Amino acid sequence: MAGARGILWLAGAALRADRRGAAVNAVAACVGAAALVLFLALGLGVGAAARRLFPADARLVEVVPARVSLGGVLGGGRLDDDAVARLRALPGAAAAWPRLPLGVPVSASEPAGGLGGRWPSGLALQLPLVGVDPALVADDVAPGAFADPPPGEPIPIVLARRLVEVYDRTLAPAWNLRRLPPGVSLVGVELPVRIGHSIVAGASEARVAPERLRLAGLSDRVPLYAVAVPIETVRRLHREYGKGEPAYGQVTVLAARPEDVPSLAAAVRRMGFSVDEGERATAERVATIVKVTTGALVLLAVTMCGLAALAIAQALSASVRGRARELAVLQALGAAPADVRRIVLAEGAAIGLAGGLAGALLARGLAALGDAAAARLLPDLPFRPESFFLFPPWLLALGVAVPVLAAIAGALGPAAAAARIDPARTLA
Amino acid sequence: MIRLRGVTKRFRDGAREVAVLRGVDLDVAPGELVAIVGPSGSGKSTLLHVAGALDRDFEGEAVVAGTALGGLDDAARAELRNRAVGFVFQSFNLLPALSALENVMLPGILRRPGPDGRIAEIRARARDALLRVGLADRAEAPPSRLSGGERQRVALARALLSRPAVLLADEPTGNLDAASGADVIRLFSELARGGVSVLVVTHEERVSDAATRVLRLSDGRLG
Repeated sequence: MAGARGILWLAGAALRADRRGAAVNAVAACVGAAALVLFLALGLGVGAAARRLFPADARLVEVVPARVSLGGVLGGGRLDDDAVARLRALPGAAAAWPRLPLGVPVSASEPAGGLGGRWPSGLALQLPLVGVDPALVADDVAPGAFADPPPGEPIPIVLARRLVEVYDRTLAPAWNLRRLPPGVSLVGVELPVRIGHSIVAGASEARVAPERLRLAGLSDRVPLYAVAVPIETVRRLHREYGKGEPAYGQVTVLAARPEDVPSLAAAVRRMGFSVDEGERATAERVATIVKVTTGALVLLAVTMCGLAALAIAQALSASVRGRARELAVLQALGAAPADVRRIVLAEGAAIGLAGGLAGALLARGLAALGDAAAARLLPDLPFRPESFFLFPPWLLALGVAVPVLAAIAGALGPAAAAARIDPARTLA
Repeated sequence: MIRLRGVTKRFRDGAREVAVLRGVDLDVAPGELVAIVGPSGSGKSTLLHVAGALDRDFEGEAVVAGTALGGLDDAARAELRNRAVGFVFQSFNLLPALSALENVMLPGILRRPGPDGRIAEIRARARDALLRVGLADRAEAPPSRLSGGERQRVALARALLSRPAVLLADEPTGNLDAASGADVIRLFSELARGGVSVLVVTHEERVSDAATRVLRLSDGRLG
């Protein structure tokens, strides 16, 4: 049996002999490959953008007090330490972290250090602070960096990662503040605030103390609309301002496994609490829409690859019929039927490879055009991705492999027909 | 060498079976140039195909270049054709998309890669073969730009690339003018003198005149 190099040499010679036919078939494979790569890249890109917009953790259950509660009758009602302990003990629960909103007003009237620009004169912002368990954001801050600080030290805060995007796309341009360069580390930035001061007339506390908030990290586990501080800091401030022991506003329960979430949510409801599924449901809806749309487009692309395979099958069948004598001559010169089969398969594979490579490049080019058009036509809204397409290496490999396999599949029939050629009868 | 014993070949023609070869015995020793003559349809080409391991559905015994053909599978017969048998056809059977040189390279390309399996080396050997048939200067020409005589010499160079022990030619001068035919016959004689077993099917006297033996095939029998 001839070696692989010999087979490739002969396949290349056959393709050179019919350059036009090979090019037409490669174009068919190219279109299928380009569609496949482009649609999948779009699905991946839009999916990634959606996950940035709705970074729902599949293992988190957000527990809130029921809107209508029978309180102690069913054991629900107030979210206190006892409730947290019972939530933590539920089957399938790995942890439970309470959130405690700060009942003391906090305001800021100057920009954070290092982010200065033209801060509007007289502008003061009311900052909603919420205390969270340091364990909730342990993966997003340096060890020990998120704890109630000693007197004189700035209070560590954690912001929602999405808040940076909102700042960059809305606040910064509106207030003529400097945008954050991509990838910049904000950790350590400090914001001067006044504890006890409210922008609402008459709502300030009797004691207003200057304080500094220092960014300890960014996290997807803290609310977008609040500044997260250590829960012990909130408790301390409540003591200092005589606020008593308000109930927790929310408890985040971490399921041991994503599949435990439904039973855990049901158990929470049986305890008399509600589960806040707003963001999770939206994230799941968006993910489903993206997956279904991507799936439909990929199905279309796979169909195009299938049609390319049929075109290649038809063209190679005609080619084999047309050069039956040449293939018989090759057999007379020492080609076994298996060699003839491999030559035709190699022709198909080469067509698929050329089409796949061209298709992958075409998809990259079309994606670049699409991104350029989006950048020009779409407003600069938060969470608008730089690119709507993602091209991981495996996708490019898939974009080449699928047309190659489709072309080989299309070549199987013609290759079998070529191997059945009887040289003695054909050359007679 | 070629040794055929009791070779019978039948074709099915609709419901009936027709015997083209009937118990053919033939020996072609190394250094012999044997010519087979006979009328059209007498089975001359079929005899060549049996001797060249192209046709396997026959009865009897066939030994070519020391290898008994009976029981060989497709791959083994292909390997035997590649290493030990050279074919020359009346219609040349050159691949039109390849140059003369590339046509001559084909047997080397089809050989299993070995020490002499590199493409560059095959190309060099093909140039030598073209030089031997006097066509070194036409190496890059496609068959369409060659005369009939040149095409047949390219086909002969292709058959010689593997230095075969057996050369089988089917009406090799049938499409050639007198001068070209004479060139080809001279090359066959040289090969036979070099130890190759040459079996030529022909109906031309100029070929049979050059043969060491002439056998007549009639009604499927050699006489």
